[in-house]
Amino acid sequence: MSATAVATGPVVEKRRGEGLTATALLAPATIFVALCLLAPLAFLFRYSLNDFVATKKMMVEAVTIANYVKFFTDPYYTAILGTTVRIAVMVTAACLLLGFPLAYVMARTQSRFKNVLIILTVLPLFVGNAVRSAGWMVIFGNKGFFNSSLQGLGLIEKPLEIMYTEKAVLIGIIAVNLPFMVLTLQSVIESIDRAVEEAAFSLGAPPLTMFRRVLWPLAMPGILAGTILCFILAMNAYATPFLLGGPLFKMMAPLVYNQFTQQANWPFGGAIAFILMTVTLGLTLAANLIFQRKAAR
Amino acid sequence: MARLDIQNLVKRYGDFHAVKDVSLSIADGEFLVLLGPSGCGKTTTLRMVAGFIEPTAGRVLLGGQDVTLLPPWKRNAGMVFQSYALFPHLTVAQNVAFGLEMRKIPRADIGKRVEEVLALVRLAGYGGRLPRQLSGGQQQRVALARALAIRPDVLLLDEPLSNLDAKLRQEVRVEIRELQRQLGLTTVMVTHDQEEALTMADRLVVMSEGEVRQVGSQRDLYERPANRFVAGFVGRSTFLDGTIETPGHFRTGGGLELKCTGGKMGAAVLSLRPERVEIGPVSLPGGPLSGLDNQLQGTVEFVSYLGSLIDIHVRLSPADRLVVQIANREGGFSPEVGQPVHVGWPLSAGQVFTD
Repeated sequence: MSATAVATGPVVEKRRGEGLTATALLAPATIFVALCLLAPLAFLFRYSLNDFVATKKMMVEAVTIANYVKFFTDPYYTAILGTTVRIAVMVTAACLLLGFPLAYVMARTQSRFKNVLIILTVLPLFVGNAVRSAGWMVIFGNKGFFNSSLQGLGLIEKPLEIMYTEKAVLIGIIAVNLPFMVLTLQSVIESIDRAVEEAAFSLGAPPLTMFRRVLWPLAMPGILAGTILCFILAMNAYATPFLLGGPLFKMMAPLVYNQFTQQANWPFGGAIAFILMTVTLGLTLAANLIFQRKAAR
Repeated sequence: MARLDIQNLVKRYGDFHAVKDVSLSIADGEFLVLLGPSGCGKTTTLRMVAGFIEPTAGRVLLGGQDVTLLPPWKRNAGMVFQSYALFPHLTVAQNVAFGLEMRKIPRADIGKRVEEVLALVRLAGYGGRLPRQLSGGQQQRVALARALAIRPDVLLLDEPLSNLDAKLRQEVRVEIRELQRQLGLTTVMVTHDQEEALTMADRLVVMSEGEVRQVGSQRDLYERPANRFVAGFVGRSTFLDGTIETPGHFRTGGGLELKCTGGKMGAAVLSLRPERVEIGPVSLPGGPLSGLDNQLQGTVEFVSYLGSLIDIHVRLSPADRLVVQIANREGGFSPEVGQPVHVGWPLSAGQVFTD
């Protein structure tokens, strides 16, 4: 080996070592995602193109779009998709409306209890969806705490119908999603220099104008991230609509589950899952584009 | 532009007095600087003038009109922030136009005025850029242009130069000062940098612990500081602690007998500017020290060579040490540590504070 080769050797070796390290660091997560997300999705998609023989409750290998056609031609299913989108949009809007002021206060507070506030915001997430929903069933039922209290006080005669209605589902998903919205917004608002707001004030902008012209556009990345997160979570909500909506209230995620477990109709279940995924992705992208175009103006 | 009057302004946070009874009058076109260490209440005072902080008591009058209860967006005060606080999502031109849009000025006029103001701060042609594409100095000028565009009654500068590097700072000082004169802007600036304050101000206000310690010109503050705080904060002073035994006679803690002017009897402090004290190897008749009211012997304890100037720390007694500053002249006195020296100063160089 020549002297030159010895001299340049270590440099090359170090680079190769770094490459190996990077691979080693990336590999586990990549393999995990590939095995646990992409592969099942690929299989699911393949299944969604299969045939289903209802009489025998059996899947037959085929390549057909019959399952997708079935979904979009049956008003029963399209209505469920409509409800899901509607609920998700309403939940997202409500979370943004409720979450922004809270996130703003939390971002701007100088209080030493700020950390406590943040923990309180996250606290609801410590309780699982199923447990929380069960708790609400106790409170909001016709003979539950809420109605008996109001009746006991003589404020209402008949119990308020909250359980097993859209209202219950809305309240339920909002409560679950709100922390995600608040935390996302809070971190973004915190990164906005407070002096920028004051600058707007000193230039003659009243608070609402300041909000519209300065705070809102600067918080836009957080608003986008928060609404997307909130929307996706709401579109895919399972436990809350299932437990609080009752047997007559239908959303997409419980429907998918139902097709797989109750009906054993894997091809149709797969198709619904893909429709849910595509609609969620499509609406998210569309909203993103619209927002960004507005922000770019 | 208008005059600004601050009357008995007070701000309390619970038990903490951030600002205690501050009264100031700033004439039309005057450049006033609030100078003081951090936490002295100067920024709080400025923010009360801007309307960001509601005073606990007192009034703010802008052009004779009481604006104490008006929110910031209803006062016509242009403010330049320490962080510049430019709107990062708007271009330079949009930043400058913001205040004009709030004033419902017609579009065509806005465009014209934005160009005028940008030219004024030497940023013509930069209107289409975003703040992040500009250097710190340019951002600072945009912030200034944005505040000037609204033709404010008063211009408020909150440590506007502290984020610039030292060299640029010196240039911008002069620039802002010239612009202020040219436009006749009533201006209040807050700073903790005394050099900056001395360069720019018509009049200075020295504050500490929420109170005004002295108001005056550069010369007033330096030559006739009202109290020990100002003597130590503006420029540099050596303080010798001691007592006035009989009028005109000061005895230091180390037992030195010195002549001084006036002062009440009792505990006092004698303040000396380092460059007003003469120093030499020996006191010769006809030499620099002859005829000075106070002449003392001492030992050089420490020398710091600053280039054009030399600081010499002289030990006068076990309890008394004096700093003398001399010009570094060709063939001048060059002290060495441990060397015995003579120091002296005229009566007029010393000032006695009894507070």
